This record gives sequence, C-alpha cells and structure tokens, in this order.
Amino acid sequence: MRLLLVEDELEIQSFVKQSLMDAGYEVHAAEDGNTAALLAAKHVYHGMIVDLGLPDRDGIDLILQLRKSGVTSPVLILSARRSVDDRVKGLELGGDDYLTKPFAIAELLARMRNLLRRNSPHTEDASRLRVRDLELDMLKRRATRGDEVLNLSPQEFVLLEYLCRHAGRVVTRSMLLTEVWGMRIQPDTNVVDVHIYRLRGKIDTEGREPLIKTLRGIGYVLKGS
Amino acid sequence: MSSKEANAIMRSAAWRISLWASLAFAIGTMLVFAMLHRFVADDIQRRSDAWLSGEVEVLGDVAKRTPKDRLYRRVVGEIAELASREVPNRQRSSGNENDAVFFLQAGDSGPAKLWVGSGDGVANLAAIRSTRVLPDVPFDVRVLGFGTPFRVASVRIEDGSNVYLGLSERDELHVLRNLRVRFLTLWVAIVLLGFVIVFYATWKMLGRVSEITAAASRIGQSDLSSRVPDTPGNDEIGHLARTLNHMLDRIENTVHQLHTITDSLAHDLRSPLTAIRGKLETALASDVREDHAESIVSAIDELDRLTEFLNTSLDVAEAKADALRLSRTEVDLDALVRGMIDLYEPSMSEKGLGVQIRSSGSVKVFADPALLHRVIANLLDNELKHLPASFLVCISLRADDHTATLIVEDNGPGFDAEIGRHLFQRRVKGRVSRGHGLGLAFVEAVVRVHGGCVTAVNRHEGGAQLTVTLPLCEAQKQEESHALALLNG
Repeated sequence: MRLLLVEDELEIQSFVKQSLMDAGYEVHAAEDGNTAALLAAKHVYHGMIVDLGLPDRDGIDLILQLRKSGVTSPVLILSARRSVDDRVKGLELGGDDYLTKPFAIAELLARMRNLLRRNSPHTEDASRLRVRDLELDMLKRRATRGDEVLNLSPQEFVLLEYLCRHAGRVVTRSMLLTEVWGMRIQPDTNVVDVHIYRLRGKIDTEGREPLIKTLRGIGYVLKGS
Repeated sequence: MSSKEANAIMRSAAWRISLWASLAFAIGTMLVFAMLHRFVADDIQRRSDAWLSGEVEVLGDVAKRTPKDRLYRRVVGEIAELASREVPNRQRSSGNENDAVFFLQAGDSGPAKLWVGSGDGVANLAAIRSTRVLPDVPFDVRVLGFGTPFRVASVRIEDGSNVYLGLSERDELHVLRNLRVRFLTLWVAIVLLGFVIVFYATWKMLGRVSEITAAASRIGQSDLSSRVPDTPGNDEIGHLARTLNHMLDRIENTVHQLHTITDSLAHDLRSPLTAIRGKLETALASDVREDHAESIVSAIDELDRLTEFLNTSLDVAEAKADALRLSRTEVDLDALVRGMIDLYEPSMSEKGLGVQIRSSGSVKVFADPALLHRVIANLLDNELKHLPASFLVCISLRADDHTATLIVEDNGPGFDAEIGRHLFQRRVKGRVSRGHGLGLAFVEAVVRVHGGCVTAVNRHEGGAQLTVTLPLCEAQKQEESHALALLNG
C-alpha cells in the first residue's frame, strides 16, 4: 500500500517514513504543500499523513484542496498546535483522524492501519463477530468463547467488540479511550490497563490460549484468526 | 404587559430617574402655585375690603344723617339695598334673593335696629357679636346656616350703634377653588406628561447603556471579537462605547499575543520532542541490550510526562489569563461523570477503594466537554493516587437554581495541612505524588474559565472534600436572553 507523508521537519519525516516502510508500506514523502499536491496528482495513495504546519500553506487547506480534486483516501493529521481547529474536527467527523505531537510511532501506525481498514470495504456479518473461538452476538450483546458464555458487563462487551474489530492489530490506550469511552484524555493512572486486565481474566481463563496480548509501552493486540 | 415585564421596568434606572425628576418638578410647580394662589387670594381680599370699607363709611354716614323718624328704616334700607346691588358680578346662591350682602345696624346689645338682607339677621347679629372685632378693619364672620364666611366691615355712629356691612366670601372662595381645580388638573397632566417624556428619554438613553452591557457580557463569555455597538453622537454614552471598544481592542490584542506565544512555544517544543521520541523509539525497535532498552523506555516515559506537563502548563497559563479557548456545547454532567466512573471504577476496586455516585438525573451545563473530561479525570486520578486502600470515594452531583455542584469526597486522611492552603497553586503536590503537581491548578483554572469555582476542605468527620460549581445551562441562557431583551428593549 502506498502512503503520502507530508512533513516539513526532516528529522520527524525520516523516522516516520522509516517506521512506515518497516511496517511494509510504500512511502512518498513531501516537505511542503505544493510538492504534496503534485505528488497526489501523479499517484494514487491509499492513505496520507499530513502535518498541519507546512511552510507554504496550512495542512488543512492542502487536505481540503485534495478532497476537492477527488482524492478520497483517509488522512491522518499531525498537529503540534494546542487547540483543535474546527475544520480538523470536521475532517475527524468525515472519517479522518488526528494525532498531536509528540506521538508514539506505534500509535501512528495503529491509527493509520485503522484508517486504511476503515476505508476498505469489508464484508462482515453485522450481527455476529468471530475471532478464533471467540464469538460476539451483536444483537443479544452476548459473548461466548468456545461453548462457554462469557459474563461481561456492557462496558466490557464494548471493549471486547472494539478489540475484535481490530483483531490482529495494535490498539493503543488512547485509541481505546477515544473510541470506547469517547474521551480524549491522558490519565495519570493505568485505568485502561485495569479494564483490559479484567477482560482478560474473563476471556483468557486457565487452560485456554491467551488471546489478549500486551505490548509494553504501546498497547494491546487481540490475536487474529 | 406581564407582571414580569412591569417588574423589570420598575427596577430599571430609567424608572427611578423619571420618578425623582417628576417628583422634583411636581414639588417645584406646587410651591410656585401656592405662592401665586396666596397672592391672588390676598389681592381679592384687599379689593373686597376696600369696597366694604368705603361702602360702610357711606352707609354709616347716611345712617347718621337720616333723621330717626318713621322713614329712617326705609331710607337707609333703600340705600343699603342699592349699595348691595353695586357688588359686581354677584352670583346668587339660589333664587333671586340677595344673600351675598347684608346690612345691619345694631347696638352693642339688644335686637337689630335695621336689617337688610335675606332672612331675619338674628344669626348674623349673634355671629358678629361673638366675634372679636378690631375697629376699622374688616373681619371674617362665620354665620350659622351659611357655608361660607362673611367679610364684615363696621362703623360706629353717634347714637352708639354699629353699622355693619357684610359681604359673603362665597364668590372669592369660588374663584379660588376654580383656580385650584384647574391648576391641579393641569398640574397632574403636566407632571404625568413630564414623567412619560423623562422616562422615554432616559429609557432610550439607558437602552444604549444596556446594549453596551449586553455586548460586554457576550464578550465576557470568551467571544473577544465582538464589539460594543458604536453609537453615533459625541455624548457620554458614545464616549463610553468607544472607550470600551478601545479597551477590548487592547485585551484582544493581549490575548492574541498570549495565544501566539503559547502556540509557538508549544509548537517549538513539540517538534523536537517528537523527533527525540521518534529516535528513542527507533532505537528501541532495533536490537538493543535489555538494560539499554530499560533506560530508553524510561526516557520515553519521562518525555511523555514532560509533554503532558507542557500541555497542562500552557493550559493553566491561558486559563489564568482568561484566555483559554473553549469550544462549548451543552454537556450533561451526570452522563459525563457516570462515564468517567465507568472508566475508573475497575482501577479503584482493584486498589480496594469503594466508589459511589449520588445524582438525581441530568444536570446540563454549557461547557467544553474535552476539558471537563480532563478535570474529572484529574480529580479521580488524585483519589486513585493518594487515597489508601479500603476507603470510600463519594461523588455527588446536584443542581440548584443556577449552579451545578459536583462534590468529590472521601473518608481518607484528607489533605496535608502543609499544602492545604496552596492546593490550587502550580507545582504543589504531596510528598508521595509522582505527578507534575499541576492537577488541581488545572482543575481550578478550567472551572474558573467556565464561570465556576473550586473549593477544597478537610471534612470534620475526616477525609478530603473537593467541591466544583459550574453555572447551569439554563442560568447561562437566561443571562443571555436577559442581555438580549435589554438589547431589544
């Protein structure tokens, strides 16, 4: 998959590019809005990572211009600004995502994957979610592992649902906070970890293969099929 | 007009000003009238006294000269009759009988010698005799059976009897009463009209002040770009508006400058932080020895704490300068707090802390939800970090008339006495805290920007209690609609 990275700080650009390439993406990098616009006219990108503070124009203007010219690929916005522009909020509603600097590479990768997947059409039975021997009945809000019915609280069910939908990929704590709890906060304490810990206690009971894996300093992965 | 509007008018300054102005006007005109009235009354009396004195002189003379024979009664009577007809423009009370004038000749005692006038004159004589009389000066006599007093002039003739000529004051009083009635009607009309005019003028004038107030209150709610309507004219209110706008220009400028400084500070610090963090992560990803990896991870942790400190620091700085950018919407505090407790409850029970919420339903405030999330997360983080196991955290939410009150309390050891007083200052933290000590300063700053306040006390029964109040949505709306009403009124 080909990505466009628009970032004027070369130090940041280089390690982001490297990490994306390590993750298996093909990356084109641009240092300013005009180069980015030219590249976007020449190639088709599956996703874009755009810094808001470009030397020649505002990143938002670039995104809006690309959108106008028919580019629909999802955008991950990088921002060193303190307040979130209303237009960024608009883009967020439109399915794009934003990340404030400084960010964890893992966070960036996780969000980018999330965006790319969101954009690809997926054929999924809306009422049932299956990951290995884990099955979620979305209508009855009931989860089973194998033959065993899991006794989950509504909150835990939503959390598990999110993990299942992102099975096989890293989800970070802040992704969970935003998507599951709907808040952009950075708690001083390990509140998210405790939720995962409890969920794990109900799913990965003794004698079963552990499904939820912790990536230290990064987040969690639910093992995919 | 509803009673509410009427109340609003009665409470307005325009109402009071016009009331006082009208009162002063009314009293002033009344005093002037009283003086005029007195002058007119005196003048009328002087004229009638002059006539009476002249006439009684003549009649006395006639009575003296006329021989006291059979014809005396007739002669003097006729002349008195004639004299009484001289009284100009007399109004008769009823019928043709002349009861406005009487002529009386009588001694110091005994019945009247001669009586010309309506009735028998007995009452008149009695009244005159019971009045203390000064010679040659007309005097007032109240006669039984007559509504109005008589003005009586007397002259003493040689045979020892007195000649009295009485003139009813009915007409004078009538004229004066007419004068009073007309004046009072006109006076009431003029005072009312004056009141209305003054009220209208001041209402208009103060309306402009209200516009300025409304605009200023809008601006107070973090919309720094709007300005007070510039009124034409070079009067005091125009000056006020211009001065206020000038001041707002300066404030906006300062706030803008502050934003520029904090933004560029944030930007300039975040970019290198991002680069450092990226490099550390890249280093971590490559093959490093276990002990090196440990230090890199801890460096990343420190970096994240530094970032968080930077963010919160700038937020607090902006909030303290009333320049924190808010994107407000209607927020249900009840739902927000419950969501937050859902997030924190497992951590709390894991640590052996109990948590309970007391709330009786939705409490709407007009606030920035992201900031409120951080405020409550801060409060709960605080409890989670500082409260020893097996204690209870109780969160209660209630709405009064205008404010929402959120109380977070516990039955633990409470705040340290040494930091109690400086709780909301930056960089104050307990000895065991690992945070950057900005938590409560941030909470206080954000709440204050929202128009609320935070207080922290140690409860009597033990434990810490933090109380956050925020203005309710309706209160805020009412204030706005009140300002708008003033604007339109």
